[in-house]
Amino acid sequence: MTLFQALAYFFREALVNLLRGWKTSFVAVLTIAVSLLLGGAFLLASRNLLESVQRWRQEMRVVVYLRPATPDAVLARLAAEASRAPWVASAQAVSPQEARARFRDIFPGLSGLVEGWEEEPLPASIEVSLRDGRDGENRRAEVQAWIDGWRRRPEVEMVDDDREWLGQLETLVAIGRGIGLALSGVLLGAAIFTIGSVIRLTAFLHQEEISILRLVGATEFYIRGPFYTEGLLQGLIGGGLATGGLYLLYQAAAARSAESLVASVLTTGFLSPGQTAFLVLLGGGAGLLGAIASLRRERLNTAEG
Amino acid sequence: MIQFFQVSKRYPGVEQAALNEVSFDIPRGQFVFLTGASGAGKTTLLRLIFREEIPSEGQIVVNGRNVASIPRSKIPYLRRTIGVVFQDFRLIPRKTVFENVTYLPRILGQDLRSQKQLAFQALRRVGLAHRLNAFPPELSGGEQQRVAIARALINEPEILIADEPTGNLDPDLSWEILRLFLEVNLRGTTVLLATHDRDLIQRIGKRVLTLDKGRLASDVEIEGTAPPRLAVPSAEASDFVEPVP
Repeated sequence: MTLFQALAYFFREALVNLLRGWKTSFVAVLTIAVSLLLGGAFLLASRNLLESVQRWRQEMRVVVYLRPATPDAVLARLAAEASRAPWVASAQAVSPQEARARFRDIFPGLSGLVEGWEEEPLPASIEVSLRDGRDGENRRAEVQAWIDGWRRRPEVEMVDDDREWLGQLETLVAIGRGIGLALSGVLLGAAIFTIGSVIRLTAFLHQEEISILRLVGATEFYIRGPFYTEGLLQGLIGGGLATGGLYLLYQAAAARSAESLVASVLTTGFLSPGQTAFLVLLGGGAGLLGAIASLRRERLNTAEG
Repeated sequence: MIQFFQVSKRYPGVEQAALNEVSFDIPRGQFVFLTGASGAGKTTLLRLIFREEIPSEGQIVVNGRNVASIPRSKIPYLRRTIGVVFQDFRLIPRKTVFENVTYLPRILGQDLRSQKQLAFQALRRVGLAHRLNAFPPELSGGEQQRVAIARALINEPEILIADEPTGNLDPDLSWEILRLFLEVNLRGTTVLLATHDRDLIQRIGKRVLTLDKGRLASDVEIEGTAPPRLAVPSAEASDFVEPVP
């Protein structure tokens, strides 16, 4: 028997087994689909969130707010001083008048809040863009020390550092991804166990035929092949369903991205073809593993005399 | 063809050996009865031949191969040269006669046309060529046993082993089945048939190995009182030989 003939036989028998025991197969497929859907969702969400974080990191700024009534000359001097630091890409001085104009442009409905004051309601500030948001540990410490130095200066009211909340967000994403992957790992383990149980049940139902196959001279490869293929197919179908479900969820979220910031952040892109294939193959691999594990301990019954 | 050299078989936790220092030699083409009371070791001896069991001591040579030391991966190839028939037929009820008979050709990757040809030939030898598409539950006990024999014969095995093949059949059907085995033997296949039906053995008359509590109690050739008259079938195979009334 050629390998092609054997594979054709395996798939034929596996499909027949799947159709005959569709109820138990459905449970196994569903388990693996749910676990992969969950894993895929966490993967996709964390990937998109991290992409957003990276983008924000490139736009990251440190804003130094000066005390009220700081003269323009001091503002210009401090801005020039800030721009001389090696990690600073640019340092822009923003006068109280410019700040008020910006506020009006960004929040036209709230423009009344900044009008009619005797003094300028918004402080002067220096908007500092840092050169690289992915510095090494030493450089990060230097930048932090530099920012702390600005905080201590008498002309400075406060310093707003984007890096702080971005770092916290990255940590949160990493924790969320870890929890998600751990949870989907547990579910995948359960799916492997379920598939293994289904395969063992199928093998039990076929034990009489298996004993005959063994009696007439079938090899272990020939006997076990259909069961391995059945596990593989269950896993692939589960992986396919998970990918399809994930895509539908993604589309549903993307449709709401205009009205929801969270949806817009989470739907910057779907899984790449490679990642999609990985998810489906992971399902197939889990199914195959379940089948191998379930039959490893079985002697698949032998002819009795 | 089948050689046993001081073969013993013991099962864990059982004091008495299932087989105890059994030695014999069955040459190619011989018809041999294996008899003895229940529990004498007949089934164990047969299972040792097709390597369903491993001897505790001694050597077994089948078709020139030392069965005891044959690697696990080679067992299927040994079994393809041995046809085995059981008392309970071992047919799959949900599969047709054709499917039940053609397990080995399918394993060997033969195409459907060859499978049909082989199934037809094997079933014609046992007189059931017309029941190719029937399911086992639709057949009588005798017919089911004939299907099991056809399955064992489909690849023209060198050895045919039968464990109480007539145990579930009435005397007429038993005689019918026995004639089949004799016909198979006339074609050159070595036949080893286990039965406790002494009457059947007396009527046929052949070499008889008798086991008693795991020991080979006797190895004798006996004259039959009413052996069937059989014509050597042609290579193309004749239709099933009708049972003698």
